[in-house]
Amino acid sequence: MSSVRVLVGFVRVRRPGRLAAEAGALVAAVVVAFPLYWMVLSAFKPAGEVQSAHPRPWTLSPSLDSFRRVFTQQDFGRYFLNSLVVAGSVVLLSALIAFLAATAVTRFRFRFRTTLLIMFLVAQMVPVEALTIPLFFLMRDLGQLNTLGSLILPHLAFSLPFAIWMLRGFVKGVPVALEEAAALDGASRTRFLWQILFPLVFPGLVATSVFSFIAAWNDFLFAKSFIISDTSQSTLPMALLVFFKPDENDWGGIMAASTVMTLPVLVFFVLVQRRLVSGVGGAVK
Amino acid sequence: MSPATATRDAVRVPVAKPAPGRRSHRQGGWTPWLYLAPALAVLGALLVYPIYQLGLISFLEYTQAQVSGGEPTSFQGLGNYSALFSDSQFWSVLLATVVFAAACVLSTLAVGCALAVLLTRVRALPRLALMLAALGAWATPAITGSTVWMFLFDPDFGPVNRVLGLGDHSWTYGRYSAFLLVLLEVVWCSFPFVMVTVYAGIRAIPGEVLEAAALDGASQWRIWRSVMVPMLRPILTVVTIQSVIWDFKVFTQIYVMTNGGGIAGQNLVLNVYAYQKAFASSQYSLGSAIGVVMLLILLAATLVYLRVLRGRGEEL
Amino acid sequence: MKLTARTARAALTALPLAALALAGLAACAPQTSDNSAKSDDRSGTLRVWLFQEVSNGPKQQVVDKAVAAFEKAHKGADVQVEYIPVDTRAQKIKAAFNDPASAPDLIEYGNTDTAGYVKDGGLADVSAEFAAWPEAKDTDPTAKQSVTVGGKVYGAPLFVGVRALYYRTDVLKGLGLAVPRTQDELIATAKKVHRAKPDLYGLAVGGAYTYGALPFLWANGGELATENGGKYTSAIDSEASRKGVAAYTSLFGDTNCPAAKCAQMGGNATVTAFANGKAAMAIGGDFNHAAVEAGTVKGKYAVVPLPGIAPGSVAPAFAGGNNIGVLKSSSHRTLAVGLMEQLAGKATQRELFDAMGFLPTYTDVRAEVARKQPFVEPFVRSLAAGAKSVPVSPGWGQIDSSLVLPTMFQEIVSGKKDVAKASADAAKKMNDVFGAAG
Repeated sequence: MSSVRVLVGFVRVRRPGRLAAEAGALVAAVVVAFPLYWMVLSAFKPAGEVQSAHPRPWTLSPSLDSFRRVFTQQDFGRYFLNSLVVAGSVVLLSALIAFLAATAVTRFRFRFRTTLLIMFLVAQMVPVEALTIPLFFLMRDLGQLNTLGSLILPHLAFSLPFAIWMLRGFVKGVPVALEEAAALDGASRTRFLWQILFPLVFPGLVATSVFSFIAAWNDFLFAKSFIISDTSQSTLPMALLVFFKPDENDWGGIMAASTVMTLPVLVFFVLVQRRLVSGVGGAVK
Repeated sequence: MSPATATRDAVRVPVAKPAPGRRSHRQGGWTPWLYLAPALAVLGALLVYPIYQLGLISFLEYTQAQVSGGEPTSFQGLGNYSALFSDSQFWSVLLATVVFAAACVLSTLAVGCALAVLLTRVRALPRLALMLAALGAWATPAITGSTVWMFLFDPDFGPVNRVLGLGDHSWTYGRYSAFLLVLLEVVWCSFPFVMVTVYAGIRAIPGEVLEAAALDGASQWRIWRSVMVPMLRPILTVVTIQSVIWDFKVFTQIYVMTNGGGIAGQNLVLNVYAYQKAFASSQYSLGSAIGVVMLLILLAATLVYLRVLRGRGEEL
Repeated sequence: MKLTARTARAALTALPLAALALAGLAACAPQTSDNSAKSDDRSGTLRVWLFQEVSNGPKQQVVDKAVAAFEKAHKGADVQVEYIPVDTRAQKIKAAFNDPASAPDLIEYGNTDTAGYVKDGGLADVSAEFAAWPEAKDTDPTAKQSVTVGGKVYGAPLFVGVRALYYRTDVLKGLGLAVPRTQDELIATAKKVHRAKPDLYGLAVGGAYTYGALPFLWANGGELATENGGKYTSAIDSEASRKGVAAYTSLFGDTNCPAAKCAQMGGNATVTAFANGKAAMAIGGDFNHAAVEAGTVKGKYAVVPLPGIAPGSVAPAFAGGNNIGVLKSSSHRTLAVGLMEQLAGKATQRELFDAMGFLPTYTDVRAEVARKQPFVEPFVRSLAAGAKSVPVSPGWGQIDSSLVLPTMFQEIVSGKKDVAKASADAAKKMNDVFGAAG
């Protein structure tokens, strides 16, 4: 890590500059974190304080009322579970499929390879929302409307191109010598793929999963359009929308539901944070 | 597990192992196609086929009556497109989309790069604080992010108006202030990607280079312009193109924060416009035509990107 | 030109977009949905969509009770009620028409949507059952008209909705103002109140509150559209209509209801403002009575018919109201019709009136509740003075869901366009839809 040490030395050159930079970084951190702080704070505020004309940045009497309203809402646990199932399936399937595809386009040379790569890039550009229309009819013809399948399938398709694109860098990073050595040892191609390549690329898979997870977890458009009448198949964002009422938005409930919705993603992020940062770095190599 | 160590790993993994050269690639026969089969099946069925249908519907008369089977579908040729292009609202929405996306991309890149440089100049604690805050913003789902920002700027109960002393000023009433509000949210949730990526890139630059520049008395801005940008160019290209892709397609933020497009549709962008045309007014063919236009614009952007890549002699 | 798979394929292969498609995909437009029911099961799950009202609680209680009674009488029937937001109902209901398999069996719908839903092929013709239903003979003719298209009945009226002027007795008295008797007085009074009490809207109005705006249009002799041999032409840009639009939009601004807030409001928001004591007057319906009673202004308000142009006259009110209809795709038709009769029957309507103030659609029940509850008197009087409705064109639903009128009002009150330009643009949009819908 010599470069890092040198970098620290480089920074030390100007001391007052560093103090200003640190102050700036802390201010930026506070500004960036403020919306999240306000969300959690409002979720814990008692009803009278949330909708107050003089909001205070703290509360002296935290209350769980808003969370109670969220959790006692019809089938909330079910919505949560549904969201997990959708996001989980998308993550697992897309990681697996993308791994295979990324291996194919980086470890092999074949006709149409470049064409395919360009197609994967172009596919990322497709505006998901514009495809809601044909996907609606496709899901209907497949008999998937009103089921979680109608959410899993499109998200799988939309997360794949980016996942393949991102994983490419990781597969490329595994030295070919390793593959040749494995072949000399008599390992079959399949064995190499799953027992050597897969573990090596795993950090990249995790980083990729973050993006698939977020996309699937956040979705509210497909949930809104494809889960037509079967409320037992609804996902979390729908539970959030319930608190937007015609008469007056229940901001306490909205903030509590938002907190509950953000939490799993945050946990997931913290868990894979190290790999995420390295993944992003790897993808752009 | 601190971001600092994470980043060091980040840099090490891909850098330490040079990418294999051309000679290593094998002719795998059918194997690559076997590996590609699941991906191609999923993409073909759920991406290519719907795109194809999108194009098809855009040439048909396809409204609610056709969907329900009340009336036969009829071929319209370019009728939907000429209807769209003669609608002045379409052009103003298109302009708004392009300007808004450009503003979002520029702001996101500026904030992300500035904070990435800042990160390299501070000690571990402030760095950890900023890194965690950024990860939090990144992790926030678009829909909750939008509602939280709306609440922050709520005319009656939000803290922002109190702090700024704006009374019950409504941010969503004016066209530009509504767009500004959405832009702030978009930047907030998308700058972390840029910051983390660029930061990882800067850490991979050999320290001696930066040190030499600093000893020469170059200002921070000059170091960024003349040393970092040239070395980070591949990374900057990727984050720019990625931001263009994401910001051009902003949907949730506009839909939630301006309640489906704002007063008299003043905050519509193409994506929301297409959705409203199709699902609110059940003019599926017009909505599809807008979708096709969007697709073509993004396709053009991709081609430019590919040309740039090829121009530099980079291999895919 | 009719579309065949071949012409479509030929046309498409020529296009660059088709180059994107992998080879071998069949060229066919999404199939149309077959909305006819396949079976008539006598047990199973019945899905019902009702509208979510301001203060929905009491409505829910009445419905729960009716549903319990129904389930008791029909063993094996499981009724699931979902309350859907009124603003986005169009998308939800269209989606249901598009996929019969996931559609509900029974829906509540606004009477302005009847013609459109019938044209979309979504509602079942229940003429025979309606004729055989003993309670139906007391349905008032206007209400029956609202479920009838081309002589066939497509549902049962649930309640009549008519709007009148809610005003704060204490505020007007305190400022020494009389209850307005003409439209000009109404506007002047609103502005006087706001000048004296800037924290109150004089008259709460909303840029997205079409049904509150229509009486201004009609009182000035304007019309939404004129019919000629079954063909509608927009009249929103006629001289008289523009006068009405100008009168309504003059209520937005710093003199009464600041555009920054009021341009975005819909009907519910104006009523909520009144109920919370933030407005001196509001145009609210009989169905809003419960919400206002539950607010902070209870006991401090009264209701009169919305004044017209001439002193003492009544501005034509919008004859609103909701119906309950069975979906054509329901696989439980007999059960669904039974539940429809339960929910729209006299007993339930009586309870809905007590709970929500929904005006019954049966002449005898309405007379009965009017005797019991004097608050309905101004609403019944508005109805009697001649209420009007929107054009009975299948295109109306689309005009409504494309927000043509709210857009026009919002363009004017936010200063983007003047009345003449905005109304001309709205007329053009309406004519486009009428032209397509026939």
